[in-house]
Amino acid sequence: MSPLAFMAEGEKAEIISLRPRLEGGGKCPDCMEHLKDMGLRPGKQIEMLTNSGGGPLLLKVDESRIALGRGMAMKIYVRRESL
Amino acid sequence: MKPGAGIQYAEDRDSKKSNETITLAVAGNPNAGKSTLINSIAGTRLQVGNWPGVTVEKKTAFFEHDGRKIKLVDLPGTYSLSPYTQEEIIARDYLVNEKPDVIVNVVDATNLERNLYLTLQLAELEIPLVLALNIYDEAEAKGYRFDLEALSSMLGVAVIPTTATKREGVKALMTAALAAADSPRQSIPKPITYGDDIERAADAVVGGLSAEIPEALEQYPPRWLALKLMESDSTVLERLGMPADSRIVADAVGHLRKAHGDDMEALLADARYAQAAGLTREVLKKPDIRKRDLTEKIDAVVLNRFFGIPIFLAAMWLMFKLTFDISKPFADWLGAMISGPFKRAAEALVSIMQAPAWIASLVSDGIIAGVGAVLVFVPVIFAMMFFITFLEGSGYMARAAFVMDRAMHAIGLHGKSFIPMLLGFGCNVPAIYATRMLENPKDKALTALLIPLTSCGARLPVYVVFIGTFFASQAATVLWSLYVMGIALAICVGMVFKRMIFRGDAPMFIMELPPYRMPTFRSLMIHTWEKGKHFLIKAGTCILAVSIIVWFLLNMPWGVENKKDSYLGQVGQVIAPALKPLGFGSWEAGSALLAGLVAKEIVVGTMGEIYVKKEEEGEKKEAPPIREELAGIVTSFGEAVKSAGMNVVSTVGIATISSDESEEKMAERMPLREELQKQFTPLSAYAFITFVLLYMPCAVVAIAMRQEFGTWKWYGIAFAYQIVLAWVVAFVIYQGGKLLGLGG
Repeated sequence: MSPLAFMAEGEKAEIISLRPRLEGGGKCPDCMEHLKDMGLRPGKQIEMLTNSGGGPLLLKVDESRIALGRGMAMKIYVRRESL
Repeated sequence: MKPGAGIQYAEDRDSKKSNETITLAVAGNPNAGKSTLINSIAGTRLQVGNWPGVTVEKKTAFFEHDGRKIKLVDLPGTYSLSPYTQEEIIARDYLVNEKPDVIVNVVDATNLERNLYLTLQLAELEIPLVLALNIYDEAEAKGYRFDLEALSSMLGVAVIPTTATKREGVKALMTAALAAADSPRQSIPKPITYGDDIERAADAVVGGLSAEIPEALEQYPPRWLALKLMESDSTVLERLGMPADSRIVADAVGHLRKAHGDDMEALLADARYAQAAGLTREVLKKPDIRKRDLTEKIDAVVLNRFFGIPIFLAAMWLMFKLTFDISKPFADWLGAMISGPFKRAAEALVSIMQAPAWIASLVSDGIIAGVGAVLVFVPVIFAMMFFITFLEGSGYMARAAFVMDRAMHAIGLHGKSFIPMLLGFGCNVPAIYATRMLENPKDKALTALLIPLTSCGARLPVYVVFIGTFFASQAATVLWSLYVMGIALAICVGMVFKRMIFRGDAPMFIMELPPYRMPTFRSLMIHTWEKGKHFLIKAGTCILAVSIIVWFLLNMPWGVENKKDSYLGQVGQVIAPALKPLGFGSWEAGSALLAGLVAKEIVVGTMGEIYVKKEEEGEKKEAPPIREELAGIVTSFGEAVKSAGMNVVSTVGIATISSDESEEKMAERMPLREELQKQFTPLSAYAFITFVLLYMPCAVVAIAMRQEFGTWKWYGIAFAYQIVLAWVVAFVIYQGGKLLGLGG
């Protein structure tokens, strides 16, 4: 398992888990739930489209391209195909 | 409770009588083509308003179809009906409380699984539904094969393939929607089943509710309500005034919690998603080989870590250049029309009516000079709105946010904040409203505070007049310097505010990048008009009113000889000393800036009123006959079209045309410019336009900020920091320039 943010461009992986909501904490307690609604759910195959070291990353889930900040990408765990 | 048992709740749905209005609510994911579909159904009949209490845009349309009265309501685009975003709460509240006759669920055929996740949630509301399988042409082009009959029978609703951009399937969709309204009981979708454990628990909750709060079961679909309570949905609990650990629910889900853990919400969501995935597998065959599509190829370049920002800057430059090149000939034409034929016609009309002299002056020096000075900029503003609409519709706007995210982090914001700021270049008012796309209230407030520093279209008239007068040879450079100054100051101010008011971590960034699509001409036109018409309304109402008030303030006390002694002149004289160190300490400048508080373009209008001199009777040219006048209007418009075309060509570097001649002609036509040359030096003129760029947001922005945040606090902060900033920057420019020997 490794954080989503560590994936290289063009790499594919399967989502294992999204860090659950912390009650009363965090600046966006619902962000992870919102990401799940957008289709980023455990079990999904994803492909990293853009991950250029800094700034947000862009990944492909099914037919959608979802951009997300690096901080959140550190809290999503994936099983990388190459590892 | 068995699935479908909710029919009891839906029993009161009778088919519509033919003279009753049918309410259709359009729901779907963002980027599913919902707005294009609505445009092709309702077109210009759409009315844009806000949802009550919030500033999320609400579009409705009333029209007749096949002799039936229809009310169409566009719900905000959502991925789900959970209470995580304002859009989701609005869509859900509307569906649950207003109970529309039919839900038209717009589904992106190229992304079926995720879209069906929403469909399955809609299906639990026990409202008749028809499904528009939109973007069908693209899905077919990708080689997708749908089993429409299977999808229809599994969901229990009509499924209509549509391609909204080509207006295909729209008619069939409307027919299906009306049929659903006529036979509601047959059109209520089959709800999904969650398995015995969960269904039994839901039954128990419904039982508990009917014993303790039976009225809730009349208001809400019972099974849906039970499921939401099991999920501990915060909004529903709040509406019912129930505690999160209420006994009714706790008893029912006790054994489920033991078996599946505490997170009932995740359990139910996973069950829904699994159903959506299963349905998709059943009804959709995708080709095995997936080609790298055009969107990915473009993104590889546009989002590249080295080229991304240069490409974005080039796109912005091209947008500004095209905006001005295309609109300038039309603006010149409109200016000539207003100061020429239109003014002459109005004067003739006034003299026919034998109105007193003061009315004649009010009309030509007040209304026509004031509103006219502003109307001239309608072409610029519409051109800018057109390009902004194009950037939005094509999908590039979302990329700009992605590319700018890193830079925006420096000022404590993320890339999404960049979109409202970019819109600010068109007009700050929609930009303030656009801050609602930001989830975090802190991001919203900081973005709204910085938006007034992006130079809006209303400030252009001021720049153009001064630049045309003092910097005609380097017009583009000077104009650019103002926009860049605004952006640079936004960055500085953002960094300061981030440390002072908005301390904390960098915000979250989540955004879907839609595929690139060529917007249809029709939707470009509709959205450009929607954005631009506010400016026209403003010109027709607020600016008209202010022009009249300014005229009175300039001509009172009644019969005042010198405008300096008028009310406005007197106030201008009071302010003038404070503006003296900035190089424009005249009462005229003070009065114009004061009037410009309402809307910045009024600065020009007021200057027009102040400086306009009575034409000497002898100099007054005889008005040409009407036929000649009309012919002149048409030929000069033709010339404007031609020269706009030439300008576009020259933008891409095929030909260069000189605009010097028209500049000279403009100066001849505009006595205002002659007066400005007497009053300002190039240095003080630059200080003045800088001041106009920075000094406080206009009154309409104030109202927008009040609406968006429900408090005057943020406007107060913006007002205070901007007036200080404007004064300091104009002071530095003027005094610094003098020290450098640039003349004073």
